[in-house]
Amino acid sequence: MPVIWLKLVQQLVKALNSDGTPGQVAAGIALGAALGLTPLANLHNLLVLAAIMLLNVSVPGAMLGWVLFTPVGFALDPLFDSVGRWLLLDLEALRPLWEEVANTPVIALANLNNTIVLGSLIVWLLMFAPIYLLARYGVVQYRSRVYQRLRQTRAFQAIQASKLYNLYRLFRPE
Amino acid sequence: MARLIRWKALVPLALALAALAVFWMLYLDLAVERAIEYAGSEIVGARVDVASVDVRLTDGTVVVRGLEVADPDRPMRNLVEAREIVAAVELRPLLEKKLVLDTVAVRGIRFGTPRRESGALERRSGTTGAVYQRVSSWARSIEIPALNLEGLGTVVNLQGLSPDSLKTLARARALGLAVDSLAGTWRAQLASLAPAAELDSARALVTRLREANLRALGIAGARRLLESSRAQAAALENTAERLRALEEEAARGLELARTGLNEVGRAREEDYAYARRLVKLPQLDAPDLSTSLFGEMVLERVRPILYWVHLAERYLPPGLDPRTRVGPKRLRAAGLTVEFPRKETHPPFLLRLAEIDLEIGGRSAVAGRYDGRLEGLTSAPSIYGRPTVVSASWTSSATRGLESGLRVIVDHVSVPVEDSVQLRLRGVVLPAVTVTAVGAQMGLGAGNFSLDLFRRGDQVEGRLLWESRNVSWEPMAGSLARQGDPAAPVGSGAWARALVWRTVSSLRNVEIEARIWGSLSAPRLGLRSNVGQEVSRALRQAIGAEIARAEQRVRAEVDRMVAAQVREAEAKVAELRSLAEGEVARRRAELEGVRQELEAEIRNFARRVLPD
Repeated sequence: MPVIWLKLVQQLVKALNSDGTPGQVAAGIALGAALGLTPLANLHNLLVLAAIMLLNVSVPGAMLGWVLFTPVGFALDPLFDSVGRWLLLDLEALRPLWEEVANTPVIALANLNNTIVLGSLIVWLLMFAPIYLLARYGVVQYRSRVYQRLRQTRAFQAIQASKLYNLYRLFRPE
Repeated sequence: MARLIRWKALVPLALALAALAVFWMLYLDLAVERAIEYAGSEIVGARVDVASVDVRLTDGTVVVRGLEVADPDRPMRNLVEAREIVAAVELRPLLEKKLVLDTVAVRGIRFGTPRRESGALERRSGTTGAVYQRVSSWARSIEIPALNLEGLGTVVNLQGLSPDSLKTLARARALGLAVDSLAGTWRAQLASLAPAAELDSARALVTRLREANLRALGIAGARRLLESSRAQAAALENTAERLRALEEEAARGLELARTGLNEVGRAREEDYAYARRLVKLPQLDAPDLSTSLFGEMVLERVRPILYWVHLAERYLPPGLDPRTRVGPKRLRAAGLTVEFPRKETHPPFLLRLAEIDLEIGGRSAVAGRYDGRLEGLTSAPSIYGRPTVVSASWTSSATRGLESGLRVIVDHVSVPVEDSVQLRLRGVVLPAVTVTAVGAQMGLGAGNFSLDLFRRGDQVEGRLLWESRNVSWEPMAGSLARQGDPAAPVGSGAWARALVWRTVSSLRNVEIEARIWGSLSAPRLGLRSNVGQEVSRALRQAIGAEIARAEQRVRAEVDRMVAAQVREAEAKVAELRSLAEGEVARRRAELEGVRQELEAEIRNFARRVLPD
């Protein structure tokens, strides 16, 4: 457990203090939330992962979003299940769409006919903008109020000097 | 302004994806192995083990080695074991998450092999083995009467028979209370309908209309009389309508009461049987004796047949409605996975043709070598459009020339679904049967077995027949007491057991016929055998008269205990009938009479007021 907390702090520090703009960090967090909110081993998360790597967003921000939203995902599974059931079983009008999805090559592999996968994916898409806006506001507030004092601490300097930081620089927002 | 795309991450991303693909390829064999084990366990309700899986996507083949399906009833045995299964897989449907197998070759298939470790599941999900549990629950509900011969020689002691344990009394009491309640309700309704004052008032109006003097009344008085008479007639019509409704309700209630009386009658028959068992008076009818002797054996054979029919029902459903199943096992909640079958697409699962080189080991009824063929096994028969056909024929050189074969047709293309199973085994060594009731092993030797089963919709009808002319009887170790003592006093339990043993052990020809019929969820089971008939004949010949006398005493005692309560219930039902068919009808007839008389006088009066 201590390792997990250490990682969490490390991600938090990196994400919030990276050279990226608050918007880039917030976009990273919003994209990373998909990895935490939806069941991980699914096709859509491969696309999310590619987006995190290719788009000019904060990778530590995405990792932070993943770590932060994983417990939320577990807690909200009953809600995702209800949303998924409603969409897949109750909404007759969507039946042709699901038939098409279930019988289309590759798309069928995305498991969108599972109530948890579909429910969590839809909730994440709906929450994307609010997560982004909240995260950006939080980063702006943090940088203007806390960051200047934090960068003087030894812990922060130790993280900056670590090898991991060098790896991170590869994906640093430009 | 920052650029939107981070181009330098393209290479790491491609490398990551390549690593993922390599990992997936390496993991694929294991993933398929685990999927077979998980899905198999879910269906069977016991462990399904696979030694190895070799997926060759380039060739489009999957080779499964060492498949073992444990028997949920006997975890240390395998229901079925296959040395190697080679399947040719169509690749395009895999992209739609569908499994279409063109051909499957099964080699080294064996049934009933021993296992090295238990096949019981450590943890069951809510749906694991649901079919097996349903069939087991039905089997447990079948009551197989014990062959009890202890009560033959003993004096019938009815002390233990208590009125509280008799169903007749409880049902008669309940019926009496229900009838009282109905009668009370109807009487109250009757009192509120057609009161004497209303009828008297109507009769008075009839007289007034008849004797009315138009000159004295004047136009206004005549109109008032006419209006009040019409209002009275309408009120009577309304009351008559309510009385008719009450009459209909009374007829329905009376029918219920009559059904209740029939149930009391049935309860009395059950009480006779209960009392007979209580005093250990044996049942000498041949069907009951056959059930006591072979009920367990037949149930053991019928259960797997029904299990497979139920399995087909669950996993090969007709129609194109969305189907739900529990989602995949993972750390997160599984949720529901919904399938959306659609015409002119591939079914989620389809096995076009499987050829089976079948060997059934041991000394079971179907031991030997077979060639089998399975065509069109699919999870969506309505999409595939053809029934599943299984056929097997005997190829053993030992029985060449004899007609043995199996043909199964599972037609779930449309509703109502139809299944049929025909199995004929001629001249095979039938497995020995343990006849617990007489403590012996019945060796059926070489004989015939046939199974015919037809299912249409919810209804099932089947017949299993064992025939042998070469039967041997061996007392089971440690159960010699069950064979009785011929020297024991006539009529004693030991004497009766000896008589039964003498009778059965001299039989060389045995025929056992089991029939199942009724609804698939709870079919009925009937048994007939010449062994039961012979035992019944022998016992009746020796002590039939005494048993009949004892049975009469038992019935008389039950009748004595329930007579008063039953008479009371019958009297109440008779009273209810008189109320429903007498009083209610009489009231309605009286009211109808007055109403018609009033309406006739109204018409006459109206003609007098307005002649044309």
